[in-house]
Amino acid sequence: MKPRETNPNFMNGVPELLILGLLQQEEMYGYEIVQAISSRTDAVIAFGEGVVYPVLHGLEQEGALKSRRRTVNGRSRIYYSSTRMGTRRLTALTDNWTKLTAAIREMLTGGERREAIR
Amino acid sequence: VRPFAELRERLLRAGVAPRYVRRYLTELADHWDDLVAQKEYGGCSRANAEASALIRLGKVDDLAQAMLRQRRFQSWCTRAPWAMFGVAPVFALAGIYLVACLILWSGWNIFLPGTDSPFTRLHGLAILYFGVGRLMYLGAPVFVGWGICALAARQRFNLLWPTMGFVLIALVGVTARIHTTPPIVPNGIGHVSMNFAFQSSSLAHATLNLLLIILPYLIWLSYRARRTVSG
Repeated sequence: MKPRETNPNFMNGVPELLILGLLQQEEMYGYEIVQAISSRTDAVIAFGEGVVYPVLHGLEQEGALKSRRRTVNGRSRIYYSSTRMGTRRLTALTDNWTKLTAAIREMLTGGERREAIR
Repeated sequence: VRPFAELRERLLRAGVAPRYVRRYLTELADHWDDLVAQKEYGGCSRANAEASALIRLGKVDDLAQAMLRQRRFQSWCTRAPWAMFGVAPVFALAGIYLVACLILWSGWNIFLPGTDSPFTRLHGLAILYFGVGRLMYLGAPVFVGWGICALAARQRFNLLWPTMGFVLIALVGVTARIHTTPPIVPNGIGHVSMNFAFQSSSLAHATLNLLLIILPYLIWLSYRARRTVSG
């Protein structure tokens, strides 16, 4: 079977943003988080699904997430939810990301304008 | 069989703390089960479902790198091997010696009050009580050495740092001597003290300790090597 195409730059700060955003609304376990990211981004963001766990563990260690073991339908799973620190971290990440995307958009549209002037 | 043995070995050898490796693999295994179940539900055969689940989880390289990028998951043995295999064992040895001295001193006061020395003929419960202290005193270097073995084996360490720990513990162990001072006043309390000095027999004793300490580790290394070859 052919390996899936992934975009490794996904790992540069974006997973934290997506995970913290998702976990603001409800607690989820790893598989659910990956499925939610995939469906809400129309599978534009592709990555090896297993790499989500080190990100979750890192955020938990920083205090941005907390976890608990729950048994649902006979399966024991680790559910993650956001903490207050997680909410603050999400706000900071969202601000950064918004500024970054605005700057990139500005640059791209500015580039188009220059092309039009020529 | 869930296919994470290679990842586990790789993470442990790279110095990731075993507790983080265990948790990572547990969650990966759960995720893998979910992916396989989802594929089987969609009509895939078991073999195809498993192969597809592996691809979706990611390559071993990517899974390992995701963990290794974060230094906070590294074990203390990797971050400070000098402390874990040099300083900590000496403190552990000192702790065991302290407890052994306390047992000797308390046993002297409980079972042999008024006597000039606790090193005398014992009866009944005193044999057991002093026996525990004696075992701790004599066995301390070996117990601590086995602790180092367990730590090194658990984290797939090579021989360098553990061997330094073994030698240090064996040497400190054979220089330790317990002394007792009789009570100054009649029916008073005697004193128990320790000192550390080399004697003519120390080197032979240290070699014996070293062999006792290192033997389980060598057996484990050989077992692991055989398992790697056969696996």
